[in-house]
Amino acid sequence: MTLGKIQQTILVALVLCLAPFLVHAEDLIAEKSFKSNTEILVKFSGPVDRAIAEDVKNYTVFEEPDPDIRLTLKSAILAENGKSVSLVFAEPLNTAVAHVVTIRGLAGIESTTFTVSKSYLGYLFGILISALLINNFVFTKYLGLCVFFGTSKKKDTAKGMGVVFTLVIVVSALMSWFFYNFILIPYDLNFLQIVVFIGLVSLTVQAVDTVLRKVNPILFNSFGVYLVLVIANCVIIAVPLILANSNYNAAETFMLALGAGGGFLLALYLMSAVSERLQLANIPQTFKGLPIAFIVAGQFAMAFLGFSGLQLF
Amino acid sequence: MKNIITIVVRLTLSCLLAATVMGLCFIFTSNAKKHNEHVKEQQVMYSLLGYKGDAKAPESLALHEVYRYVISNSEKQTIGYLVPSQQGAEQNFLFVNIDLNGSLIESKPISLSEIEALEPETRNKAVIAAVGPGYQVTFADQTVVVTDNGNRVGYLLGGKFQGFKTFVNVMLAVDPTFTLIGLEILEHEEDPGLGAEIEQDYFKNQFKGKPFEALKTIDVVKAPIPSDYLKALNGKMSEEDVMRFREQYKDKDIYALTGATISTKAVADGVKGIVKKFAYRVDVLDKVLKEQQLAVSF
Amino acid sequence: MANDKSSMQLITRGILSENPIFKLALSMCPAVGISTTVMNGLMLGIAVLFVQVFSSVTISIFKNVIHPRIRIPTYTLTIATWVTVIDLVLAAYLPEAYAKMGIFVKLIVAFAIITMRLEMFACKESVNASFWDGLGMGLGFMVGMMVIGFFRELLGSGMILGYDVLGFKPLLFFILPSAGFFVVGLMMAFFNWIEIYYKRSKGLKS
Repeated sequence: MTLGKIQQTILVALVLCLAPFLVHAEDLIAEKSFKSNTEILVKFSGPVDRAIAEDVKNYTVFEEPDPDIRLTLKSAILAENGKSVSLVFAEPLNTAVAHVVTIRGLAGIESTTFTVSKSYLGYLFGILISALLINNFVFTKYLGLCVFFGTSKKKDTAKGMGVVFTLVIVVSALMSWFFYNFILIPYDLNFLQIVVFIGLVSLTVQAVDTVLRKVNPILFNSFGVYLVLVIANCVIIAVPLILANSNYNAAETFMLALGAGGGFLLALYLMSAVSERLQLANIPQTFKGLPIAFIVAGQFAMAFLGFSGLQLF
Repeated sequence: MKNIITIVVRLTLSCLLAATVMGLCFIFTSNAKKHNEHVKEQQVMYSLLGYKGDAKAPESLALHEVYRYVISNSEKQTIGYLVPSQQGAEQNFLFVNIDLNGSLIESKPISLSEIEALEPETRNKAVIAAVGPGYQVTFADQTVVVTDNGNRVGYLLGGKFQGFKTFVNVMLAVDPTFTLIGLEILEHEEDPGLGAEIEQDYFKNQFKGKPFEALKTIDVVKAPIPSDYLKALNGKMSEEDVMRFREQYKDKDIYALTGATISTKAVADGVKGIVKKFAYRVDVLDKVLKEQQLAVSF
Repeated sequence: MANDKSSMQLITRGILSENPIFKLALSMCPAVGISTTVMNGLMLGIAVLFVQVFSSVTISIFKNVIHPRIRIPTYTLTIATWVTVIDLVLAAYLPEAYAKMGIFVKLIVAFAIITMRLEMFACKESVNASFWDGLGMGLGFMVGMMVIGFFRELLGSGMILGYDVLGFKPLLFFILPSAGFFVVGLMMAFFNWIEIYYKRSKGLKS
């Protein structure tokens, strides 16, 4: 599976997820979003009564977890065509939380209630980018270093290790999620986390090994060797531990695992590109091998520090 | 065949042995863990009220836990408070259900032992039983009302909000007029040396003594702390000089940490939100308690 | 007496000639990640020491009963058990130190060094020898972590073990995790240099 094909599959999956959202707009509220951190924009499916829509007293807005604290609306401005209203608030909104808006008397309906929140897809994508760049497992979280330094000497080994690793981590993360939510928590066996997770990883590696051997022996010959190294990798245990800690659901787990694997692949690839060039350079005797590799990694880590605090969604 | 059976049997036995070892360890340590957590929480609470280190709190000081729940069904939502009843009442807790407009829906006495009240599971069960079927009960937060000889001297509020990296968990102490008397950063994942400086005294002390009016509109100014104010914040001055500075800066905004403006703003906004929301809620609760003449311990 | 001598040898081997971090280049994740202070290094070192010693001893006791085909799963199971134990104990009795180490205590299960040690040593040698070997390796790891932590804490925040030594912060960079790479790399180079120098002087002599 080349990188291009993977990208295509992800795009198709995203479009399929978006489709239902586009078909939905049948009732009064066509669209709602946070326009800025003091404004909510609501678009209606048809023009509405100006008097009702611009009367601040007809609106009740609160943050979902705090229904008893009503937010003060400064003004409600209806657009020229009467199809959208801009709700301006006195205080900045906490856009990370969902807000519940109720409008009374609009289009003859006693009360229309809807929730405004940041797009969930954006959130999922945010997890992916976070695991890939902002919290890159190798350069920002310093995990998986042993295998990292071992397989980043040449571009081909790097690619091979990265792809195998992504595959194993996605499968084992999903299995860990399943085990964690349906077996460990209900039976209060949380302390068995570590054993169960590493057991699942070994199982996945074994399974991938057997399947690959039968299905595609050629692929196995080039990638199979790295499978064993996957078990000794800190990242593969870190991903289930993180999802257990943050209580992610299945979609979020998938994104996290994909991002972790992708980040690892990215790190390996960058490192191997530099490594190949280093072999031609004139390095002092004491620094040859691991020391210089560490220093290069340190420089990459500094570069990745630039991603911290990036907030896309 | 025999080989495989031996392997499977041995593997299963080792798994069982391992599970027993871990299970025993878990049982031993989980009690110690809960106890240590509780002790630490008490320490933080007393130090926020001003009794640090060796200074012991007076006997007349009492802490009363108030738990807030959000109760919802498909039509409406209400806020439920679990408050300790007055000393000597038959049942030691009172469940007060208030609707979103501030009027009482119902109040019911509940019996909960001290341990049951501290444990989320048993406490939630009691609240669910009090509310009745058909409702969804979610725990919102917990406040501590501090009284000295029966008079209110302060409140301890907890809160969690988004920091620069992930979440920041704080606990604050306010007096009955909602002036901040103490701030403690319980948990955070900010960068060491940059955002992590929010747990340093010179940052936290900037919030001390700020009155409610200042807290309602508090913001961050991107300037370094004036050097003499910094000395006062670090406690390197006499008691009266520190007080003088606090008085001078009490209506001013928070000075941002070098290289950590976003973390500073996050803490300032977080504190602002916690205090504002609490002031509104405690007002509503007090009105209901007074109107209905409900006997509570504070 | 002969036993004592070899046990000392085993320990020094773990600390110097086969130091897990600097020479064997294993278990580098925590070396880079959390060696920001000496205290962190000490705490994680103790955790690893505990796991290493107990796992070595356990495997050594059961070495005759373990079926060769299921070696690796058994090692993994043993290590995972002891890691869970130390994890629970630390979380209960030393919550502040535990919070600073984050996930790394749980990640001890993935340390290649421990599995390797079990494979190479504990399953063949006696309980006594395994104990000393485990101790040596664990100490080597702890010493390595503490040395790195010493440099980073001193140069990054001017403190050692929380005591303000320098009174100012020379280079905040050293506390930031990315500096871990640099420090470890430089220390490895240093160890290399010592070895080359040593060999050269020995070479000249003989």
